[in-house]
Amino acid sequence: MKRHTAVPSEAAQLPVLTQFLQEFWSAADLPPAETVTFELALEEIFMNVVMHGSPAGRVPRVEVSLALQDGRLTLMIEDDGPSFDPLSLPAPDVTASLEERRVGGLGVYLVRRMMDAVSYQRLRGCNRLSMTKRIREPTP
Amino acid sequence: MNVRLESIGLTTVAIPEGRLDFGAAAGFQAQLEQVLAGAGTKPAGVIIDCAGLDYVSSAGLRVFLLAARASQRAGLAFAICALKPAVREVFDVSGFSRVIAVFADRATALAQTRQPA
Repeated sequence: MKRHTAVPSEAAQLPVLTQFLQEFWSAADLPPAETVTFELALEEIFMNVVMHGSPAGRVPRVEVSLALQDGRLTLMIEDDGPSFDPLSLPAPDVTASLEERRVGGLGVYLVRRMMDAVSYQRLRGCNRLSMTKRIREPTP
Repeated sequence: MNVRLESIGLTTVAIPEGRLDFGAAAGFQAQLEQVLAGAGTKPAGVIIDCAGLDYVSSAGLRVFLLAARASQRAGLAFAICALKPAVREVFDVSGFSRVIAVFADRATALAQTRQPA
């Protein structure tokens, strides 16, 4: 099963993408407990694109696709904004004290920890981030 | 996202319901700042009861972090409780459950925060 959508790189589009994911989840009859990884990845990576890339006078286009095959779900997020590899962000110090704790880079860190595999490519003037996780079937 | 506030003795309990994503974070932050500012009477403690919270992202974690830090500086007790599994997972992976007091339920959080800071 595969689905695809595209939105402008604007924060106001986040609910549209969340709904796209939720509809895919229902249509594919996937276990609710597994949604959080994908909802989080969608928000963190999309918001990164929104924050990092708007060359003057042009709003990048963001393409999102979901593909379920052999029990693995792949979320691919592609944008035609400025070249940016989110995987190049330094990992936050998740052992820092309350006072020293920073949130920068935390979103991408969460995605890397919660997905099975994450890869970045700069391809034909686009950033492409591909994220895959095996979906556990709920135990009957 | 909807947020209800309850006062129990000197403790203020904030109850966010729904999704704490990028779109909801700024509003929730403003509400917590108001609670922390005391709006007249200063709370001796703040508890965020997450029993109705379905989802949190890094934008939401940031709000918890800022509130915990502001509470610590103001000498207020701060705790969160009743995390659903999806929220718990994000707290655990981010390491936030190590710097913010997380309790299983509201009764336990209340008992802990009542102790003098």
